[in-house]
Amino acid sequence: MLAQQLVNGILLGSTYALIALGLTLVLGVFGKLNIAHGDVFMFGAFAGVAAASFGASLALAILAGIFVSAVVNVIIERSCFYPLRNAHFLAPMLSTIAFGILLQNVATQIWGSDPSRYPNIEAVTQFEIGGILLSSVHIVILAVSFSVMLTVDIVIYRTKIGRALRATALDPEVAGLLGVNTKNVMFITFLTAGALAGVAGVLTAVVYSQITPLIGIRQGLIGMVAMVIGGLGNLRGAMIGGILIGLVEVLNDAYLDASYRDLIVFSLFFGFIILKPNGLFPQPSGNRS
Amino acid sequence: MLRFKALLSLIAVMTIAIMLTGTVQAQNVYRIGLNVPITGGGADAGKREVIGAQVAVNEINAKGGIGGAKLEMIVTDTGSNPHDAVNAVRKLAGDDKVLAIVGPHYSGVAESTFPLGNRIGIVQVAVASSKPGVAAANRPFAFRNTLTEDKIAVAVVEAVKKRYNPKRIALIVDIKDAVARAIGTKVFPGVLKKADLNVINAKKPVTFQTGDAQFTAQVTKLKALNPDAIGLGALGPDALNIITEARRQGMKQPFFGTAPLIEGNIPEKGGSAVVGTIAGSIWSTQLNDSRSRAFIKSYKELAKTLHPGKFTANPDYYPVNSYDAVYMIVDAIKAKHIKPGMENLATKRIAIKDHFSDMKSFNGIASDGFNKVGDGKKNVHVFEIKDKAWKLIK
Repeated sequence: MLAQQLVNGILLGSTYALIALGLTLVLGVFGKLNIAHGDVFMFGAFAGVAAASFGASLALAILAGIFVSAVVNVIIERSCFYPLRNAHFLAPMLSTIAFGILLQNVATQIWGSDPSRYPNIEAVTQFEIGGILLSSVHIVILAVSFSVMLTVDIVIYRTKIGRALRATALDPEVAGLLGVNTKNVMFITFLTAGALAGVAGVLTAVVYSQITPLIGIRQGLIGMVAMVIGGLGNLRGAMIGGILIGLVEVLNDAYLDASYRDLIVFSLFFGFIILKPNGLFPQPSGNRS
Repeated sequence: MLRFKALLSLIAVMTIAIMLTGTVQAQNVYRIGLNVPITGGGADAGKREVIGAQVAVNEINAKGGIGGAKLEMIVTDTGSNPHDAVNAVRKLAGDDKVLAIVGPHYSGVAESTFPLGNRIGIVQVAVASSKPGVAAANRPFAFRNTLTEDKIAVAVVEAVKKRYNPKRIALIVDIKDAVARAIGTKVFPGVLKKADLNVINAKKPVTFQTGDAQFTAQVTKLKALNPDAIGLGALGPDALNIITEARRQGMKQPFFGTAPLIEGNIPEKGGSAVVGTIAGSIWSTQLNDSRSRAFIKSYKELAKTLHPGKFTANPDYYPVNSYDAVYMIVDAIKAKHIKPGMENLATKRIAIKDHFSDMKSFNGIASDGFNKVGDGKKNVHVFEIKDKAWKLIK
């Protein structure tokens, strides 16, 4: 049972990793936290479910989730971050709390408070590899989330855009002087973070079937825990942090009791903040986060 | 200045006129309250309860009201949380001066509003709360027009035994929701033991939390236990996720639960995965008696204009409970010869409480009165999922 539970944990952790990745991108580049990130994830999930209920394939549903979440996240950037860029550092963060509640209410008006469900994928094939059971759905989830993580990693660390992002993260003023268009960087960062939340949202809706307008609250919080454990602002750290949290949650449910789950996860969070505030993979010095 | 004074006087006269009209109107009406969730997690169920209760109010007024006086219903929003619900009870009792209140919805909310109802001295009739003992702990003004889960569980377990003849039962329990937790940790272990069934994990059931996004760990654990059937202490949406995940992991065993399973359109959403699942409830659109049919027709008609939407288009047992609860209050008004208007409110409210305490029988769509601890007396119907619907098996 342990091997199966480890696979279950990686599966759960991979969606947490995608959420943490989006949060970390914004935090790493701007040093600001988007509290509404979990609700952006929720909007992406609903967009995917809506597309699928009109007969869209899984790939199209994921694209719908990416599109809607990216747009919503850009709206957040335009309304909560850009106008408040010179305000007190807490102002954008606080305004995203309000924006998140707004998104929850808009979702309730559109999709209702009863759980919505991703239409059944009836053609599920089961694979058994060395006693570990995997369904085709699970394999798709793992493949999509890990390839998305890999792509983000390559883009950030190996491309020109990635260099601009990392330069802005290190020092926006110097980056600006060196010819980086920081306004564009801000736009691209939010667009990408939103898209990541959208992928995570649709994958969550597919594998775990039901979503409600309030699903983003806990997922957003877990994303933050993963981000702190991985090392604030460190993208690879956020991915590993997400998968670790997934493993911790699943092993807790399997061998302890579900009532201990949040106690353990948030104790870990608190423990890291106090004892190891830079997380498992501290960001190289010079980064302001 | 003169013009300003004239305007002010006009406003004053109009205000007094409006207030007087209100008083005159209020003297010839019976006013009741409906306190259910219109926002928050229970919004959809709450809106259906509003429609159900309004169907009753419309029917009564269409027949000339109660002795010629109109029945008026003030609706408040519990926001799906105890804090707003308590404020709403204060408003309904103090400002709106209602005779009695239909609601709240949840057991967790009722545990907060019932003690307040006792302090004020006003009857509340909950329409969904089914955690055992909530009304009993709040005598004498707390009533629940619902059936507690223990009674439903007895009928369900009997049906499961007949249908599947299982020997070893495993339980999976939501440790967060008050009702689901009570079902999984108290109700089912007791009922299954009485039915001579072996609960293999009664002391340490598989656990999860309401609204969990994933059940892979729990299902892997259930699978390792290899039971003959699985009892669900779960709300409908979570139950659906658990069963779906179980089929994904290759489990073929049947699942069973009580009333919360009937929520959330499991048969339509679950497809072939949920076929054979058994649950019990007090009412369903599958019942084909003339009054159920008439109610469904009126409900669907009103739902086109009141809280329209796909989440409220069809009734479940909640609006039936709110519909019957309105008629129960009207029954009390008639039996105790309560006069319309806002005078002697305390006495009138006590009279309604006294009538409810003695309501050994009542002829509702799905309500037969109250037992001695204030819980509803109802028939249990057991259903099995077939052809994308809950089909009556008993």
